[in-house]
Amino acid sequence: MRQIKRMLRMHKIFVAQELKRMMEYKGDFIVGIIGFLFAQCTNMLFLWIIFRQIPSLMGWTLNQVVFIYGFSLIPKGIDHLLFDNLWAIGHWTVRKGDFDKYLTRPVNTLFHVMVERLQIDALGELIMGIALICITLPSVAIQWSLLKILLIIAVIPFATLIYTGIKIATAAIAFWTKRSGNITFMFYMVNDFAKYPVSIYNNAVRFIITYIIPFAFTAYYPAEYILTGNNPLFNIGLTIVISLILMVIGIFVWNKGIRAYESAGS
Amino acid sequence: MKKKFRIYMPFVNAGMQETTTYRANWIFLMIGNVLGCFVSYFIWKAVFISGNNENMNGFTMPQMVVYIFLMFLTSTLISSGGTYDIGEEIRDGSIAMRIIKPISYNSTFLFQELGNKFMTVCILIVPLVVGVEAVRCIFTGSVQFNIFNFLMYILSCVFAYLINFFFNICFGFIAFIIKYLWGANMMKNCIVGFLSGATIPLSFLPDTLERVFLILPFASLNYTPVMIYMGMYSGVSMIYYLALQLFWVLTFWGLSKLLWNVSIKHLTVQGG
Repeated sequence: MRQIKRMLRMHKIFVAQELKRMMEYKGDFIVGIIGFLFAQCTNMLFLWIIFRQIPSLMGWTLNQVVFIYGFSLIPKGIDHLLFDNLWAIGHWTVRKGDFDKYLTRPVNTLFHVMVERLQIDALGELIMGIALICITLPSVAIQWSLLKILLIIAVIPFATLIYTGIKIATAAIAFWTKRSGNITFMFYMVNDFAKYPVSIYNNAVRFIITYIIPFAFTAYYPAEYILTGNNPLFNIGLTIVISLILMVIGIFVWNKGIRAYESAGS
Repeated sequence: MKKKFRIYMPFVNAGMQETTTYRANWIFLMIGNVLGCFVSYFIWKAVFISGNNENMNGFTMPQMVVYIFLMFLTSTLISSGGTYDIGEEIRDGSIAMRIIKPISYNSTFLFQELGNKFMTVCILIVPLVVGVEAVRCIFTGSVQFNIFNFLMYILSCVFAYLINFFFNICFGFIAFIIKYLWGANMMKNCIVGFLSGATIPLSFLPDTLERVFLILPFASLNYTPVMIYMGMYSGVSMIYYLALQLFWVLTFWGLSKLLWNVSIKHLTVQGG
C-alpha cells in the first residue's frame, strides 16, 4: 500500500515536470497535435472516397466503419498519451547508453520509463476518435442498457493495456539487441488491420489478429459488441483476459531483459 | 568530375555502411510496411466484392494489387530523410561542422543517401518486381513485363527522388521557425501521401480535383512512376509527365538554393 502511494506521488511529480516542459514549447505541441489529427483526416477522406463507389463494404455502412475506426483511436490514444516513452527505449535509449540512468535510481525501471513522459500529440488521436464516435453515434442505432455502458467503460483500460503490453515486450527486446524500435513498428502495423471490420479479411489474417497478435481486441471486437450487442463473453471478456496475459508477458520479458542488459557505453 | 566523385565517395560509403549495420532493424521496417500493403489489399478486395463493377475508375482488382505494391516499392525507392537531418543539425548546431568544410552542403546529404539507396534497390527491387509480374501473369495468363516501361519507370523514379530530395531540403529549413519537426513532418507526410496518390489512386477523386492534383508536384513523386510502369501513360502523355517531373526537379532545386542562401545569413548556432 505504501509503495502504491509512493508511486502515485512520483507519477504526479513526473507529470508536473512534463507540463512545465510543454509550456516552454507551446507552439510545437500544437503542431504535434495537428499532425496526428491530419493523419486521421486523410484516412477518413480515403474511406469517404471509397464509399462513394459502393453502397456498403461487405454489409458494413460508412457510419459503422467510421464508428469502429473512431473507437480504435481511443485505447490507442490513451496508451500513446501515457506510455509513449517505451518507443524511445527501442529506438535510442538503450543504443545510446542512456538507459543506465534508470538503473541507478531507487525506482522500478519499468514504472520509471512508463511515467517519465506525457505525449501530448496523442490528443490529436483522442480528439478525432471522440469526434468520430459522436458524429456517427446517432446513425448507427445502438441499443443501450446499463450493463452495456458499464462494460464499455470497463473495457477501454484493458484494450489500452493490449497496446502497452505489446510495447513493453517489444521494447524490452532492445536489452538484447540494442535496437528494437522497428520491431515495435512492425507490430503496430498489424494494428492497422484491427481498425476495419474483421469480416473483410481471410481466415489466416483473422486468426493472426485474434489469437497471435491480438490487436483485433483493441478495436473491432469491443466495437462490434457496442454496435450489435452480440457475444459479450467473447468480445469483452476475452479482451480483458488477453490484455492481462499480454501485460504479464511484457513484464516477464522486461525483467528478463534487465538481467541480460549490458550498457552500450556512452 | 572525377575529382568531385573522389570527394563525395566517402559519403556514399558511409551511407551503405549505415544501412548494413542496422540491417535487422531495416528488415523489420520493411516487413511492417508490407503488412500495411496487405491492409490496403484486403480493403480494396472488399471494395471490389461490394461494388458491382469489375472496373473502378480505370482499375481492375489485379491492377489495384499491382498498384498497391508498386506504390510501396516506389515510395521506398524515392524516400528521402533530408528534412529530419537538416532540422536536427540546425537544432543541435552540428550544421556548423558541415558549413566550414569546402564541400556543398546539399551534396553531402545527397551522396550519403545514394549509398543508402543502393542497398535498398539491391534488396527490394528484384523480389517486388518479380512478385508484381507474377500477380499480373496469374491474372491475365500472359507475361506483361515491358522492358521499355520498366526503364522509363526507373528514369521517372530518379526524377521523383530528386524532387523529393530538394523538396525535403526546402521543408527542412522550416526548422528555423518550428523547432518540433516530428509534428511538422507528420503533417507533411500525410498531405504528400494523399496528394501523391499513395493513399488512393488519383483517378478516384472528383474530376476537377484530379486535374489539379496531377499538375501539383506531389503527383510527380509516386503517381507518375507507378502509372508509367503499369502502362497507363504511354506515348505523348508519358513524355508530358516526364517533362513535368523534370520541371519540378529544376524548380525545387532552384528553390532549395535560394532558401539556403537566404537562411544561411540568419543562422545562429548556439554551442555546437
